[in-house]
Amino acid sequence: MTRYGMVIDETKCVGCYACRVACQNQNSLQENEAYNYLQEREFGKFPNFNREFLPVQCQHCDNPPCVSVCPTGASHKRKDGVVLVNKKDCIGCKYCIAACPYNVRIIKREGYIEKCRFCIEFVEQGGKPACMTTCMTGVRMFGDLDDPRSDIAQFIAGNRHRLREFKREMNTKPHILYRKA
Amino acid sequence: MQATPLKISRRSFLQGSAVTAGALSLGLLDFKSWATATAEAPAIRIPTICGGCGNRCALFAYVKNGRIWRIEGNPEANGNQGVVCPRGHGYLHDLYNPNRIRSPLKKVDGKFQPISWEQAYREIAQKINLILLENGPESIFWLNYPQLNHAYALRFMHSLGSPHYFTHGSTCFTARNAAWNFTVGKLPSNDLAHSRFILIIGRNPAGGIELGEVKNIVKAKEKGARVVVVDPRHSETAILADEWLPIKPGTDLAFLLAMINVMVNEKLYDKRFVANHTVGFQQLEDEIINYPPEWAEKICDIPAKTIIRITREMAGEKPHALLHRGYHGAIGAQYLNSFQTARALAIANALLGNINRKGGVYFAESAELGELQPTHPPPAGPSGPKADGTGIPGRYPLGSYVDGISHSIPELALRGSLKCGFVYHNNPLRTNPNPKRVIAGYKKLELLVVIDPVLSETASIAHYVLPGSFYLEADEAIDNKHSGKRAQVSIQRKVIEPLFDSRSGFQIICDLAKSLGAGRYFDFTLDEANALRLKPLGVALKELKARGVLPVGVTWKEGIGKLGTPSGKVEIVSSALEGLGYPAIPRWEAPLVSPDEKDPYSFRLIHGKQAIHTHAMTANQPYLMAISRRYDMIRLLINKARAEAIGLKNGDVAEIKSLIGEGRIRVKLTEGLHPSCVWLPSGYGIFSKHLTTAYDQGLSYNDFLPTLFDPAVGHAMSSEVIVQVRKA
Repeated sequence: MTRYGMVIDETKCVGCYACRVACQNQNSLQENEAYNYLQEREFGKFPNFNREFLPVQCQHCDNPPCVSVCPTGASHKRKDGVVLVNKKDCIGCKYCIAACPYNVRIIKREGYIEKCRFCIEFVEQGGKPACMTTCMTGVRMFGDLDDPRSDIAQFIAGNRHRLREFKREMNTKPHILYRKA
Repeated sequence: MQATPLKISRRSFLQGSAVTAGALSLGLLDFKSWATATAEAPAIRIPTICGGCGNRCALFAYVKNGRIWRIEGNPEANGNQGVVCPRGHGYLHDLYNPNRIRSPLKKVDGKFQPISWEQAYREIAQKINLILLENGPESIFWLNYPQLNHAYALRFMHSLGSPHYFTHGSTCFTARNAAWNFTVGKLPSNDLAHSRFILIIGRNPAGGIELGEVKNIVKAKEKGARVVVVDPRHSETAILADEWLPIKPGTDLAFLLAMINVMVNEKLYDKRFVANHTVGFQQLEDEIINYPPEWAEKICDIPAKTIIRITREMAGEKPHALLHRGYHGAIGAQYLNSFQTARALAIANALLGNINRKGGVYFAESAELGELQPTHPPPAGPSGPKADGTGIPGRYPLGSYVDGISHSIPELALRGSLKCGFVYHNNPLRTNPNPKRVIAGYKKLELLVVIDPVLSETASIAHYVLPGSFYLEADEAIDNKHSGKRAQVSIQRKVIEPLFDSRSGFQIICDLAKSLGAGRYFDFTLDEANALRLKPLGVALKELKARGVLPVGVTWKEGIGKLGTPSGKVEIVSSALEGLGYPAIPRWEAPLVSPDEKDPYSFRLIHGKQAIHTHAMTANQPYLMAISRRYDMIRLLINKARAEAIGLKNGDVAEIKSLIGEGRIRVKLTEGLHPSCVWLPSGYGIFSKHLTTAYDQGLSYNDFLPTLFDPAVGHAMSSEVIVQVRKA
């Protein structure tokens, strides 16, 4: 079984926002619509100072709150782990926006809700998510978590102690893992 | 074979040439209906290069239903290695910018009126002929940001008999280039991927933005290299570094002199390299005792023990250790001591024995494009010097004759030396210091012709504006920008038929030359000229068009031969410099101005790029400006403790004032900035009302910067400005 997932390396993001605009183009979004965002955090006092950018997008959870609250079934989880919104069934009630702890869903001008789709149509044709391929520091890894030969599965196997789930306390069981600083 | 990262290319992606106008009926400017209609449409992939900054990264552009859909990086290209930056992704939307000019414009009674190309050329030629008669060819200039057609622009000026071809160099990099030329004979590149210790001083490749360099830094780090960033601000690159050294701005020279002092004192330098490939080491030993790390600490605020430790660590990895060759910041054009700073930088590298070595600085292979001879001989070069005095002893002997001192154009216009100018792909009214003076100078011109897709500040005051094609709309001259371990040629291709009555830069230059009676020097088509220039490289134009970028020539080899300096060696001591009246060996030189340490409101104003904006040309791009707003990036950075001492809180509006300008801007308090300065992101402060997204958003450092010329190189010294910052 294919189960798509991603690893995001917190130590590598320099906050250039290429992933935002690459995603907007890939998904034909308007300038204020974005499926990902960066959280900047600063540490320490001058001159002992550091900062970090945390890229956030739909975590494609195994226990997705957006799916359980959706009254029409528009928000759904596929067998391959990708969480999607079926725009024809979406009534724009925004329950999913309230339920998602990651603040990654947007209301499209047409009225339905959308979010990161792991570029799934593109991936199924052999591509990789646009946020990943454009990144100059290689922040993201993407692939099949169930394929032991995939880069991502091997990376996870070798670095388990350095990986964390974002907002683990929410028990969402995300398909995105973060590599800690 | 077309290189493609996608398996699908054969099935649903058509390789093709520019999309024809027939498809354009589908909601050309209406993004929403296009986006809905095209989700399932097939995409056409066309290789080209990016127009979003001067790096000209190689791309694949994808077109759906006659509209540009997205771009991705060409993995073959040295410069970007398959990736694209935010500016590249965002700037492509400027194709559909409603602010674009739709036809040639003529200023009549203070207002622009559309005219035909032929009418514009005729009138421009009439005016220039009169100026040529009355003032001679030297009174005409061409200014551009380095671009694909620069060889033709130069040919155009020469065909009229003018030496006055300018680039933006004097506001960017001329001090750096001059120093490397005097020291090792030419400007090297950085072999970051193979370095074991990378020290980056006065440069921010991750914000600047140099995609290939950043990829190589990451590669080196993965192999265990150490990265140290010396910068007054915790830059984007500092995020990747093992260590950030927040230097007091303007004092990088003191830091480098102290590093050299430690290398010499502790005999950490590469003795064989120094003995065989340098001149003047003994004089350096005598001079450098003046600059111990304890001395530098007091000047540059980096502890002496840190300077000693870094130098030792670095020398431990020599020759696979490098100090980044630098660009604009600290080394390129910002300070009175930038030239000496760049000299010290070059010498520190040489002491590590890393010149043209793996993991050091190296002379990148660059494609030598052919000439158009014998079929199309060039015009005779101009007989006289440039009016800006570049290369002339007693004036600006270290200045770059090729680039000129472009921010002197307003002065030369005010004194009557220049009467007529073409400005292409450049916007000096916004990107040069002291805009009031720049406006006065450019307004004095009897004829100003601007070639631009939009009405920039400079275009707004022009007599004629010619709509140059957007980069996705035109084939252009072949390019050799992608230098590296193996040289590459690349090409800009037409991806979409022009939306409006615009013409390519190449065509405009040829048309102008023909209308001015210099057609015999431009008697070729673009394809003919491109093929001729590719000929000596053994590359067919057809193949280049299919691939976008192609490797040419030999692969770089490590090792040092005779250098391009007078002695053929690394000139630690330069008798050429001494002969011109400058120090033969780098000496400490204080910045021209410094903030008043007793005045809590006094700061040095420094600037730098955000990764999302290029000069003044992307601020009008809604996708990029949306990021500036969403993340509140149009703010002045100020050290937290200093801000609190003058009653400024995060987000407060501050008043900022220099001798020549004042403005208001919100502040961001940070621990990541040296207390002696405030930092303003460049790229904002657009004042052309024709740029509706960018207009009146933020400030530009140029608003505060007086017109200055470094006495040797002539660069703008763009961080030699003290400002008063107070709560508004």
